[in-house]
Amino acid sequence: MYALRDPHLLLEGKPGDKYLLLGNEAVARGALEAGVHIVTMYPGTPASEIGDAIAQIANVAGVYMEYSTNEKVALEVAAGASLVGERALTAMKMVGLNVASDTLVTLAYAGVRGGLVIASADDPDCFSSQNEQDNRYHALLANIPCLEPSNPQEAREMVLSAFEISEELQLPVMLRLVTRVSHTRGVVTFGQVRERQAGSFVRDPKRLVMVPQNARGGHVTLLEKMSNASRIVEKSPHNQIFEAGSLGLITSGVSYNYCVEALRLIGVTAKILKLGTVNPLPVELISKFLRTVNQVAVVEELEPFLELQVNAIAHRAASDVRILGKLDGFFPRHGEFSTGIVAEGLSKIVGKPLPQSYEEALKKAVQADKLAIPRPPMLCPGCPHTASFHAIRVATGGKAIVATDIGCYALGYQPPLCVGDVMISMGASVGLAAGLSKAMTDPVIGVVGDSTFFHASIPGLVNAAYNEHKFVYVVLDNMTTAMTGHQPHPGTGITAMGKVAKRIGIEEIARACGIKFVKVVDPFEFKNAVSAIQEAVRQEGPAVVVFRRPCAELSHGNKVMAKKILT
Amino acid sequence: MDSSGFNIIVAGVGGQGVILATEILGNAAIRQGLGVIISEIHGMAQRGGSVVSHVRIGGDAYSPTITEGTADAILGLEPVEALRAVKFANSDTRIVMNSKPTIPVTVSTGAYKYPTLEEIMGQCRKFTEHIIALDAFKIAEEAGSPLVLNIVLVGALAATGLLPMREEDLVRAIKRHVPEKLLSANLRAFEAGKNAALP
Repeated sequence: MYALRDPHLLLEGKPGDKYLLLGNEAVARGALEAGVHIVTMYPGTPASEIGDAIAQIANVAGVYMEYSTNEKVALEVAAGASLVGERALTAMKMVGLNVASDTLVTLAYAGVRGGLVIASADDPDCFSSQNEQDNRYHALLANIPCLEPSNPQEAREMVLSAFEISEELQLPVMLRLVTRVSHTRGVVTFGQVRERQAGSFVRDPKRLVMVPQNARGGHVTLLEKMSNASRIVEKSPHNQIFEAGSLGLITSGVSYNYCVEALRLIGVTAKILKLGTVNPLPVELISKFLRTVNQVAVVEELEPFLELQVNAIAHRAASDVRILGKLDGFFPRHGEFSTGIVAEGLSKIVGKPLPQSYEEALKKAVQADKLAIPRPPMLCPGCPHTASFHAIRVATGGKAIVATDIGCYALGYQPPLCVGDVMISMGASVGLAAGLSKAMTDPVIGVVGDSTFFHASIPGLVNAAYNEHKFVYVVLDNMTTAMTGHQPHPGTGITAMGKVAKRIGIEEIARACGIKFVKVVDPFEFKNAVSAIQEAVRQEGPAVVVFRRPCAELSHGNKVMAKKILT
Repeated sequence: MDSSGFNIIVAGVGGQGVILATEILGNAAIRQGLGVIISEIHGMAQRGGSVVSHVRIGGDAYSPTITEGTADAILGLEPVEALRAVKFANSDTRIVMNSKPTIPVTVSTGAYKYPTLEEIMGQCRKFTEHIIALDAFKIAEEAGSPLVLNIVLVGALAATGLLPMREEDLVRAIKRHVPEKLLSANLRAFEAGKNAALP
């Protein structure tokens, strides 16, 4: 067994080698084994390390990797390559798939050629996210197959299956990850790396040009493909039955692990149906399973995605087995699961008490938790955002209403800075600020980070300029994508593969969007920073202030690069 | 070691090196062929917030996280963070903690009062008597850098003799995983932590 002390080992490791890998690194290895040719992503926790691992070895591996400006673009770049017959993988956090969903839903009609895998990482409990949506519903909405691994080893295996299924059905396939798979390190056994297969583009506008007359047929084709998918999942090795007993458990992904240990904790045996293919579900397999048990608990994090469908399957199979889960309140519909949470639900279902040691620990913890004062994350020492926020406060006497955005700087809403009155999603600050400014007289400020600016701000900025919305848009340019691990973006002058690129200037974009007042200031030159905001507030229309100073946590190499840009 | 393996909680403040300490423990274990499952927290919490990693070594473990009341050891890089993780302890658990607080912003703004070390220890003692508290910050500074605080505590944990991995594998893992220029400080920190924890 080896440690992954260098990402190149992801490439050099031999079949049969065992490495301790992060779930995300296992996805990267799986993609390399599958002969992936293109990897794209917009960084986002908990998915980031998939792209980060590939980025470091892409040149040696002969893989093209890019951090695209947003997830929709990332999916489109991957889809384009797939249409030429190459294998492509795109990775994103769960909210990223909301951004990409416009393309995804119609891409499923058109289908793909080379395998296209979408690694989508959910974040139950919002460790680093603005919501805890369940992306299995995206697979259901788009009508695409979805596989869900329970650990890093399975993540590697399922990437390979996902590519196979994608090519067999000519459909994009989703790999649904969660924080506790993506950020779990486990032992992963390597397999053979497949030779890359080159393809060619075949013109087929009836299939690929989704005007209404073609889309109607595309929908029918998609439904046929998914009915084939239903046959594939019935035989999939990723759906397994373990143990035995009159109590049945139906579970998938990370929840399976909690089921195994929860049963041990309360000393109960059960027959477990572990689903690896969560869309479409293996209806026959589930129907048969239902006939072999007296009652069934459906154990899954977040939404009752399996539970609702298992109920429908039971109804159609005229099974009168009791199906228990979230709908009856045995398991929560929010937050992440643990062995304890699953054991609590199961103990109520089977009427067996939890072990005393567990109950005691929780009881004693109540007082300890009261004493453990909260420690929310905060901006790092020396962070340029702190100066920027202070400048905003001083310049507006703390009166401005601030629409902020997704990134480290969202933390500025907390005391003592208190800059940030609303934050919803990537790039939403610009539209929200515009709307706020239409309805109030106090100064309105939008705040956005540099990477987020490129991700989703530009249409909003054009809108603000054209419709003359009166607010100040402050771009906090720390010259990196800091929150997710310092990935480059179009303002940094370097690509994911380490190639020097022509920087795209935020101030130039703002001017090109039609913004007349654009100023670039170093927030550490505090007086200038304050007066820039004051001047911007006095403008009749939208104004942009770029606060530019490199992130305090940048690595030495990136600092040198940032310095070069600044001089 | 029972079926759940040897379970270690590493709790601290983002930036203290929770993930590095976790990786060193995990990689020392695989050197000896033991199965390992580690759960880490990346992203926003790393910005000075509470961070907890779970390390499960050997056994037949499935869950990436440790169940409340079942940890074999808790490595607390900061007193309040050790306290926050104490729910994972039982009466056999070894708690190895740094006694020097890192004051959270909620205290500096006056919204909360930082508990005394006696209060924290009192709560921890309700779970277990096996507590080693040491000023790991000071020991780390003496070893060459406050940044090696995490390794001081890894050394102190090694001194309990309970870890299923060999000490030489821990040292090898440290050599592999710490930055070159802090290597000697880290090795000194490991030894100093060990000595400080020996009875």
